[in-house]
Amino acid sequence: MLNRRALLAAPLLLAVPARASQSAAPMRVLASFSILADIVKKVGGERVAVEALVGPGADAHAFQPSPADAGKAAAARLVVVNGLGFDPWMERLAAAAGAKDRIVVAARDVPALKAADAHDGHAHASDLDPHAWQSAPNMRRYVGTIRAALEQADPQGDYAAGATTFLAELDALDADIRVAVAALPPNRRKVVTTHDAFGYFAAEYGLAFLAPKGVSNEAEPSARDLARIIRQIREEKIPAVFLENVVDPRLMQRIAAETGARIGGKLYSDSLSPPDGPAPTYLAMMRHNIRELTTALAP
Amino acid sequence: MGDAMSAVTLRDLTLGYDGAPVIEGLSGRIEQGALLAVVGPNGAGKSSLMKAIMGQLSPRAGAVALGLPRREVAFLPQAAEIDASFPVDVYDFVAMGLWRRIGLWRGVDAAGRAAVAAALADVGLEGFEARPIRALSGGQRQRMLFARLALQEARLILLDEPFAAVDERTVGDLLALIEGWRAQGRAVVAVLHDLALVRARFPDTLLLARRAIAWGPTDVVLTPRNLARAAGMVEAAHAPPRGARA
Amino acid sequence: MSLDLLSAFAEFGFMRRALAGCLALSLAGAPIGTFLLLRRMSLVGDALAHAILPGAALGYLAAGLSLGAMTLGGLIAGFVVALLAGLVARATSLREDASLAAFYLLSLALGVVIISTRGSNVDLLRVLFGSVLALDDPTLTLLAGVASLTLLVFALIYRPLALETADPGFLASVSRSGGPAHLVFMALLVLNLVAGFHALGTLLSVGLMILPAATARLWTRSVGAMMALAAALGFASSLAGLALSYAQGWPTGPAIILCAGVVYALSLAFGRAGGLAARA
Repeated sequence: MLNRRALLAAPLLLAVPARASQSAAPMRVLASFSILADIVKKVGGERVAVEALVGPGADAHAFQPSPADAGKAAAARLVVVNGLGFDPWMERLAAAAGAKDRIVVAARDVPALKAADAHDGHAHASDLDPHAWQSAPNMRRYVGTIRAALEQADPQGDYAAGATTFLAELDALDADIRVAVAALPPNRRKVVTTHDAFGYFAAEYGLAFLAPKGVSNEAEPSARDLARIIRQIREEKIPAVFLENVVDPRLMQRIAAETGARIGGKLYSDSLSPPDGPAPTYLAMMRHNIRELTTALAP
Repeated sequence: MGDAMSAVTLRDLTLGYDGAPVIEGLSGRIEQGALLAVVGPNGAGKSSLMKAIMGQLSPRAGAVALGLPRREVAFLPQAAEIDASFPVDVYDFVAMGLWRRIGLWRGVDAAGRAAVAAALADVGLEGFEARPIRALSGGQRQRMLFARLALQEARLILLDEPFAAVDERTVGDLLALIEGWRAQGRAVVAVLHDLALVRARFPDTLLLARRAIAWGPTDVVLTPRNLARAAGMVEAAHAPPRGARA
Repeated sequence: MSLDLLSAFAEFGFMRRALAGCLALSLAGAPIGTFLLLRRMSLVGDALAHAILPGAALGYLAAGLSLGAMTLGGLIAGFVVALLAGLVARATSLREDASLAAFYLLSLALGVVIISTRGSNVDLLRVLFGSVLALDDPTLTLLAGVASLTLLVFALIYRPLALETADPGFLASVSRSGGPAHLVFMALLVLNLVAGFHALGTLLSVGLMILPAATARLWTRSVGAMMALAAALGFASSLAGLALSYAQGWPTGPAIILCAGVVYALSLAFGRAGGLAARA
């Protein structure tokens, strides 16, 4: 609701960020989903007020932006999207809100992998695998891209400290993951999971993530599909299967019972958990995942 | 209970569903060994009377008193209520007449089987045991129902329109059966439409049109005057209230 | 191919379990379906199958995919509606027909809405179509228990129920067991619909009761033969549906019902005791 006073005050408000001082209001950043928001927060610290459109626990694949979301995009100084076909709706939203020149594609500098075949249940916009954040080295590139974008949007801000700290944490994470994987016997480095989101993790760290065809989150699996996956697990002696909350847990239990595979806990792939959950930040998420994997795969 | 007690005593009986009663203030007795026809215009309450004697319809006022135990009363409802397409054969259907012996769970023994065969023979259906009931003609079905009725060995038998849509020969055979029952001392009450038949074969008649128009020996009851009164009673019940425009 | 199929049953526990579950459902469904047909209550059975859905959905809301919660919710909803349906069935058939149609759409929609507030598409698909390949031990035990109980109780109520169907006037004249027999039958119906719901979902569970019975009707002349044939047909359809799901990758529940349907269609044409060819 605009009145004359607000109209007169607006130019003053716009002028405020130009006076970069320590008591300046934080820069508004809009991220498409929770993982990106967490990175922005790590790098930007107190200088940014970041919000994720798709919050923790929600599904970015099925997200439908609302008119209020367009308003948020319009009000943000920076709009962070993942790219690689993960969140095309976000780029459309930002463009519609007139924020096209304020978009940064976080995965811009990441060497993209092709998506695995037979992508049931996911409808990604391109044939590239978008889940690039699943490897720490890739995440370093995310950090670089985001830091550059923050510095461009807010030249007076100091983003070096946040970025450096985070990069160090990423290195530690990367090392820990490699140690954990190395501790597993070579024949126990493969799992079955229904979500095709760990391609980058697999490529980087040497664990194989097999996504069974047919046993997905959409269709009811037929006897043929079920037989195929059970045979595959038995033949390749895969030690663990991971439940996703989108698949019939009784079916997973049946697979586990018939193959002797262990049922693993929940892996977080596309979203952080709520603050009271086990994966409220990116680092916590990765550590949680590797812990679940090594527990399930331990001999 | 001695022979002097009536099979059925009606005291000021009033019956109805919702709205106006179908029978009002009916009193009288049906004696053991009686052969009584119940006649009257449609809507006169005849079927309701049968149901009330069976205990399936409670009186709104007055009473029905049975002079014999309820299991000695057998009832043949109007034919429409039976599901003729039910996949059962004549033997199984008729054997249900032995309910007093077999109840909910007991099987039929050799004596029972012989009784069923005899009952079928009595109604002219010997050899029909294995036939599905849906393959029977109207007349054959009525014979089958009478066979079941015979097996019930009841002392009071109520028949609601037993000869509707049945061929003449069957009617004759079944009437002979009824007269045989009467000779055994059973009472038979039959709701009928064919007045010629009633005059010929039924000694007593109740002419019913909500109230008892007449009850007694048939030739005394079925006078043209009584019949006109009966028709008038029922019309009056369905006519608009006096003074109202039609 | 048939050798491959046989080895499939040897190789995979889920195939054996699915077959065992369907065997239980076929055995129990046969007498129930037979009498649904004979009592002209097939649509009532269908409506009840849908009535169970909101009850099971509420159980799901309360406790997730718990066998106990969803069974209890389904049973309560089913019994309540069965009582109402029983009352309506005593009234004219015209009214029953219209209100049943309205009712079954309502309960289906209500159930879907309830599930959607908390669950995903998969949960919805599971309650609509069941998960006959994922029968765990508690569910199999439930199915077996329900089947045994059904057959036992049916043996007890068979005579009054059959008479109540064929000639209710006669039964009323010799016994007061007609009403209770009907109530027990409705209770068994609800119990079996709830059991079937876990395996085949709300849309299909009544199918394995009605289709085999309707088919058997076209070949037999007595109630006993009808029930026996219905059980055999139910089991055969389950086997065929499982085989198709294994060989061709069709979804299992629908495949089973399709097989039952094809047999029914053929019997319409060729059945000895009432098919078109027999009447011609």
